[in-house]
Amino acid sequence: MGSGSRRHLVKLGALAISAALLTGCSTGTDSAGGGKNIRMLVNITPVLTKQFYKDLVAGYVADHPGVKVTIEAPTGRGIEDTLKQQLAAGSPPDILAGGQNTALAGQMAPLPDAQWVKDSPFAEASKLDGKVWMAGTGVQLQSLVFYNKDAFTKAGVTSTPKTFDEFTAALRKLKSAGYTPMQTGGEWTTGAQALMMANPNVMNTEPQWYAKRNKGSVTFAGSNYAKFLDVYQSWIKDGLVPKDANGIKYQDMINNFTAGKSATMVMGNWLAASLADAKPGFDAGVFPVPTFDGSTPPQAANPAMPYSVLKSSKHTAEAIDLVKYLVSDKKAVTKGLSAEGNFRTGYSYKATPLTNDIAKLLDAAGGKTVAIGPGLGDNSSPAGFPDELNTQVQSMYLGTSADKVAGAMDKWWSANAPK
Amino acid sequence: MRPSNATLTASGPSDNPPVQERPRRTQHTPPRPLRVRAARSLSSIFMVGPALAAVVAFILIPVVVAGRLSFTDWDGFSDSYKSLGLDNYVQLFHDPGVKNAAYVTLVIAVVGTVACNVLGLGLAVMLNGEGRVKAILRGLFFYPHVLGAVIIGFLWSAILSSEGAINTLLSAAHRSKIPFLSDPHWALASVVFVVIWSTFGVNVVLYLAGLQTIPESLLEAARIDGASRWQTFRQVVLPMLAPTVTINVVLVLVQLLRVYDLVLAMTDGGPAGHTQTYAYLVLSESFLNGKIGYASAQSIVLMIVITVLAIVVVALRQRSEKAVEQ
Repeated sequence: MGSGSRRHLVKLGALAISAALLTGCSTGTDSAGGGKNIRMLVNITPVLTKQFYKDLVAGYVADHPGVKVTIEAPTGRGIEDTLKQQLAAGSPPDILAGGQNTALAGQMAPLPDAQWVKDSPFAEASKLDGKVWMAGTGVQLQSLVFYNKDAFTKAGVTSTPKTFDEFTAALRKLKSAGYTPMQTGGEWTTGAQALMMANPNVMNTEPQWYAKRNKGSVTFAGSNYAKFLDVYQSWIKDGLVPKDANGIKYQDMINNFTAGKSATMVMGNWLAASLADAKPGFDAGVFPVPTFDGSTPPQAANPAMPYSVLKSSKHTAEAIDLVKYLVSDKKAVTKGLSAEGNFRTGYSYKATPLTNDIAKLLDAAGGKTVAIGPGLGDNSSPAGFPDELNTQVQSMYLGTSADKVAGAMDKWWSANAPK
Repeated sequence: MRPSNATLTASGPSDNPPVQERPRRTQHTPPRPLRVRAARSLSSIFMVGPALAAVVAFILIPVVVAGRLSFTDWDGFSDSYKSLGLDNYVQLFHDPGVKNAAYVTLVIAVVGTVACNVLGLGLAVMLNGEGRVKAILRGLFFYPHVLGAVIIGFLWSAILSSEGAINTLLSAAHRSKIPFLSDPHWALASVVFVVIWSTFGVNVVLYLAGLQTIPESLLEAARIDGASRWQTFRQVVLPMLAPTVTINVVLVLVQLLRVYDLVLAMTDGGPAGHTQTYAYLVLSESFLNGKIGYASAQSIVLMIVITVLAIVVVALRQRSEKAVEQ
């Protein structure tokens, strides 16, 4: 059986499996009047709703008669596995809005060697085999400690901590003052918060750490990951994080923080929008995650609202044109940035004081960013890394030692690194 | 040898009504015309065809494809893949994640199957018969099954999480929180409970249907003979329900061996992977981690286990049904 017919058979089977999951999806057929339908699979969040994306593309649609844009929400766990299901079913969208897994890069059409692509954040970092396959709208910072200024005052913490030792001392004072010192939680957040704190400390000296780990030249056990896990373990032992964190939902984490029960919460800059909505009864502040040596850390960051064009698209030119609009049109970019409180040089919008403070932190770091989550381009982790780390960090709440977690991560990475 | 009707008539009146023998086809009975037989065959094909097509499209082809892929390293997207022989199967039996998932699945399936059937049968016996309250209760017990598993998962996670409804009430009453979803044992117990809560309504309905097939004369006879309620249940009702028990056990067992969506919505496999079921693992490996080949091997093993278990359960049930009949 030739590889073509094998692939055909595989597609047929996958189609059968996925059919039930995908019955609600658009077929992507163009309209009878000859118009072109561009399907966009978008990442839905409390802020980036389906309606938000509809409004976002409205300007483009108005200027391009004959082009229709259909916004599709994920039907699976998220945008990534929905796309995989759609690919398996032979019905992928034209544009992917969100998701930076380089495992999917092979499915994307290379973006043109144009200035608007070069100007989009993280375009260079996401290059694979010299080709840019994703254009971001902005920069999303993910190494921020949000804090309750009133709680700090009450606990006698007079300045924001710069080192982990100072941070731990501050957490102890906050505990004595009756607060949950640091708000952690379950679901995806356990591992994510660990990465938010660890990555600036690992990649400030080894920016290509993921790439090096793929080659086996660095290890978790021998890096600042292990050092950070030791600190984290001490927090668990000393009750500086909720002992029942694994059972706390993300929304409950936010609720606890905005209700003034917990004094600090490590999260990405999008939390500023949630805080603005919640209008907490205290003054909220933000500082960068601490470092071991007290130096100003780079921010672990992601491309905000990135877009890719599927190579299977029948309307590649129109899809690329739409992506160009989304990442370079002043109005569209500003709308995207302001929705989540993201950043981009040369673009400004009316932001909350907290978001302005976050922008100052990026300036203080000299605009330097490092990888977070699965990484980007050649500096990417194997698929499943954030999930595996999440499981391992959660196990620390159940008594697993930091050493064992670091060892388990090394074992996992070695077994899953690209050969 | 049974005497013929003629003999019975000749020897006098009998209590038995004369048996109407079906006329046998003789040489004089003309065979059905070919077109009638063809029309019958055609209509049979039309009736069976759609079901057969569905079985082929949604079961047979995916199983064959999964079987083929289980010997490869296909990631789900690449145009080519490498044949690995039995590597995926060997890896599967050494994978601690698989062992953990198999244990979780087994606990859910065994405890769930027993509980769903005991609860289903008990409630069906209680709710059998007429009455508005009974009708309302039947609806109430069946209601969870109407909700989607994902909705049920989110609903119960909102109730059981550390900041959920129950723990909020406990905190308000100055009581310690119960780690429903943060402690591995509690989390598994919570999942099992919710699985049972969402499943047993169907068993109630099936057992109610089974109870209604029991002839009233048998129950009446037992009452006349002075049998107690328990004796009537044990000696009359339960044996008569034997086929329904078999169906219920097999249906629930197979369903619970494949639990995925409820776990996803309720615990997302946590804490620290302690509620990851086998089906959850298969889906994670395939669509999240892009290991379609490995996940196919896992699903083939699951399919074999389910098939074997179903056959064993049916065989055991049939043996016990025969024992009861004798």
